[in-house]
Amino acid sequence: MQKHHSKIYVLLALGVLYASLAFQACNKPEPLTESDRNEWYSGGNQTVFVSGSGAYSQSFPLLTEQKEEIHEVGDVGFEAVFNSDPNQLNYGLGPLFNNVSCASCHVGDGRGKAPEAGEALSSLLIRISIPGVGAHGSPNPVPGFGGQLQQKGILGAAPEATVNVAYTEQTYTFPDGEAYTLRKPIYTLTAPYQALPSGLMISPRMASPVFGLGLLEAVSEADIMALSDVDDANGDGISGKPNRVWNVEKQSFTLGRFGWKAGQPTVIQQSAGAYNEDMGVTSFIFPVESTHGQPQGVLATGKKEISDSVLFTVAYYVRTLAVPGRRKADDATVQHGKALFKQVGCTNCHNAMFTTQTNVAAPEFSNHTIFPYTDMLLHDMGEGLADNRPEFDADGYEWRTPPLWGIGLTKAVNGHNNFLHDGRARNFIEAIMWHAGEAETAKNKFATLSKANRTAIIKFLESL
Amino acid sequence: MNTFKKIAAFTIAATVALAACKKDSNNNADTTNPEDVKKGIVTDLATNVIMATYDDMSAKADNLASTVSAFNAQPTDANLTSCRVAWLTVRQAWERSEGFLFGPVATNNIDPRIDTWPVNYQSLDSVLANNQTYTDSYIESLEDALRGFHPLEYLLFGQDGKKKVAAFNQREFDYMAALSQNLKKLCAQAATDWHNGFRADFTAPGNATYATQREVYEELVNAIAGICDEVANGKIKEPYDLKDPSLEESPFAANSIKDFADNIQSVANIYYGKYTADGRGLEDFVKLYNLSLHNKIAQQIQAATNSLVNVTLPFGQAITQQPTQVQNAIDAINTLKETLETELLPLVQANTK
Repeated sequence: MQKHHSKIYVLLALGVLYASLAFQACNKPEPLTESDRNEWYSGGNQTVFVSGSGAYSQSFPLLTEQKEEIHEVGDVGFEAVFNSDPNQLNYGLGPLFNNVSCASCHVGDGRGKAPEAGEALSSLLIRISIPGVGAHGSPNPVPGFGGQLQQKGILGAAPEATVNVAYTEQTYTFPDGEAYTLRKPIYTLTAPYQALPSGLMISPRMASPVFGLGLLEAVSEADIMALSDVDDANGDGISGKPNRVWNVEKQSFTLGRFGWKAGQPTVIQQSAGAYNEDMGVTSFIFPVESTHGQPQGVLATGKKEISDSVLFTVAYYVRTLAVPGRRKADDATVQHGKALFKQVGCTNCHNAMFTTQTNVAAPEFSNHTIFPYTDMLLHDMGEGLADNRPEFDADGYEWRTPPLWGIGLTKAVNGHNNFLHDGRARNFIEAIMWHAGEAETAKNKFATLSKANRTAIIKFLESL
Repeated sequence: MNTFKKIAAFTIAATVALAACKKDSNNNADTTNPEDVKKGIVTDLATNVIMATYDDMSAKADNLASTVSAFNAQPTDANLTSCRVAWLTVRQAWERSEGFLFGPVATNNIDPRIDTWPVNYQSLDSVLANNQTYTDSYIESLEDALRGFHPLEYLLFGQDGKKKVAAFNQREFDYMAALSQNLKKLCAQAATDWHNGFRADFTAPGNATYATQREVYEELVNAIAGICDEVANGKIKEPYDLKDPSLEESPFAANSIKDFADNIQSVANIYYGKYTADGRGLEDFVKLYNLSLHNKIAQQIQAATNSLVNVTLPFGQAITQQPTQVQNAIDAINTLKETLETELLPLVQANTK
C-alpha cells in the first residue's frame, strides 16, 4: 500500500506541473514530512477506503486470518442484544440499563445522536455524582443511584429517573455578518424512584465512534506526556493535562485514554464499564452489578454475565476496527483548510500525528504512523461546555481532546452531524464555536477568517 | 459488519488503473449515455424499489393495526386468520427491505426496535401479567425483544402456531393493539424519512451523506452483499450449527424460510430494479461493462432462491432433518455473496466517480 500511496503522490505532483521537481526530489533521501505521509492514510497501514454506512465497521486490513476470526467473533458480541430471559443466550440485561447492546448506542460503530427536545434518550447517557471523591479518587457515587443514571429497567426494576431534555437557542454573528445559532441543552431528571440528593452533579455523555481505538491504545505514554504542559510552561495558553485514573486490572493509577474525560485507561476496561453500567452486564473486570445495594438489585442474577472470552473478543473487535482513509485530501480547498487549521492553532490540541509503539507480540498495532488529530490530553474548554463534574484529575471544565479522524463520515454512517460530549452541536461550525477556555484564541481566529477560509477548514474536517 | 474488507483499500488504485478501460456501450440495446444510465439506476431504485417497498410496508402495517383492532372487537376465527395474514404480509415487505438496510432505518434505530429475536417469553408473560397501561411510551420503554414483529407473532400464532381464539385474553388484545400501533408508527417513519430528505441525498450525491456517485453504488452493493452474509452466515448458519431451533427467526408463524427467501428477493429487487413497477436496477450497470458477470449474478440469484425452495420442512425441523438442503442453501447464498463482493463491487468502483 505504500507503493500505491507513492503513485498517487506522483500523480498529484504531475497535476500541478511540478513533475520535474518531484522527480528530482525523489533522488534525495529526505525524511518524509507529516504531510507526505498523511494525505490519505489516517490510520497508517491499518487504514481502509470504504465509504457509506459501513465506513467505520471494517476490520484492520493487516490481520492474520486467525486474528480476523477473533475480530469477527467479537463483532457478534458487539451486536448481541441482551435480555432478561434466563432461558436464552445473552441473558443478564439489567436489572437497570441504558441500552440493550453495544451496537444500539454505537450504531454502525459510530457516534450517538443527540435527543431532540422532549425525546427519550437512546445513545446518550448521564453520569452522576455528589461532591467529594469515591473509591480510588473516582467521582463520588450518588447513594441509591451510583455513578450513572439508568433510565430503563427490566420488568419489576424501577428505572432510576426519567431524563428530559430541552434546548435554549441563541443566535450569534461572525465579524463578517454571517449568523450561526448555538443550542444549549438543559437536562432535568424527573420521577426519580427515590429522592435525589441536593448538590447532584450530572454529566451527559454521547456514545463515541469506536474505530481506531487499538491504535490510540498503542501510542506510548511517553509520546502523550511529551505533549503535556500542565502549568503552561511555554506560555501558549494551552495546558494539556494527563488524567491519572484507576486501572482495575493493574490495581494502580495509570494514564486515562478513553471516554470524554479520559476516565478509562484501556479499551477493555472501557468496554467492561459499558457492559456494567450501560447494560447491567457483569464481567471479570466489573463483577458487581451497578444496582448493588439498591432495591432493584434483588433482581440481579448474581452471576458473571459474560465470559472472559466474550469481553476479550469484544474489546479486540473494537481495537481492530480500521480507521477510514481520507477523501479529497488532494483537493486545493481541503489543503488550504488544513494549513489554516494549523495556522489558527487547532493543532495545538488536535495534534495530527503519533507513531504507535513497537510491539512484536501484536504487530497489528505496532509501529503505525497515524493521524488521529488528538493529543489524548485534558483541556479547559470554558464555562459553556463545562459539566462542572470532576472525574479523577479532570476538573469540571476539562475534557479530553476527541480524535477527529473519520469525523467527515459521521453523516454517512450515523445520519447526523451532532458533535461534542452531549451532541449539542448540529454541524462543524457550531462545534467549533462552542470551543472556549484554552481554545478561545483559536476559536476567535477562526471567527475572524473570511467565509471562504472558514469553509476551507470545514472542507478539511469533512475530508478526515 | 465487515462485508467488504481489504479489497476496498485498493479502490483508488483500481480506479486510476481501470478508468481508461470503459467500453463504449453505444452498441448496447440501451442507447442512453452511460452516465445517464448510472444516474437513472439510482433514481429508479430509490423510487421503484426502496421507497416503493417502504410505502408498501407502511400501508400493510396500517392494515395490520386495523385487523388487530377488528379482531379485538369481534374475536372470531376469521378475524384471527386476517390478523395472521396481515402480519405475514407486513413481514414480507420488511424482509424484502433488508437488502437495503442503510439510511434512516439504520441511523434512526428502526431495525432493532421492530425486528429483534428471539422473543423474551418470561418478560413477555410479566408484561401481560402487570397492570401497566400499554401506551406507546410504555412500549418504547421496553427492551427490544419485547416489541416489534416477533412478540406480535408469538401472541398471534402461539408457541406452536395453532393458538385458538378462545385462548386470547383482554391483556393480550391490548398488548397486541399497542404493538401493532408501534409497528405502524415505525414503518411509517421508515417511509417518511426517505421521502423527506434521504431520497435527495441518495439520488443527488455531492452532499455530506454521499460525497460521490461511487459512494452510492458502494452502499448498494455492500447492502445486498451484507444481507446475503446475514442470511447465510447468521440467520441460517447459527441455528444450524448449534442445532438449536430456539434461535430461529420466525418460529411461531413457521415463516423463517419465507423470511430468508424474501431477503434474497430483496437482493433480486435491487439487482433488477423491480418491486412492483419495473425500472432500472444494478443489472443495467453490469450490462454496460460485463455481460458475462451479469449472466453469472443472474444465475446465482436464481440458484440461491432455488436452494431455499428445496428446504421443504419448517426451518426448525430442517436444521436436523434436511441438513444437506440447509447446507446447500448456505453455500448457494455465500457463492452469490462472494460474487457481489469480489466482482460486482470492484466493477462499480472502477466505473463510477
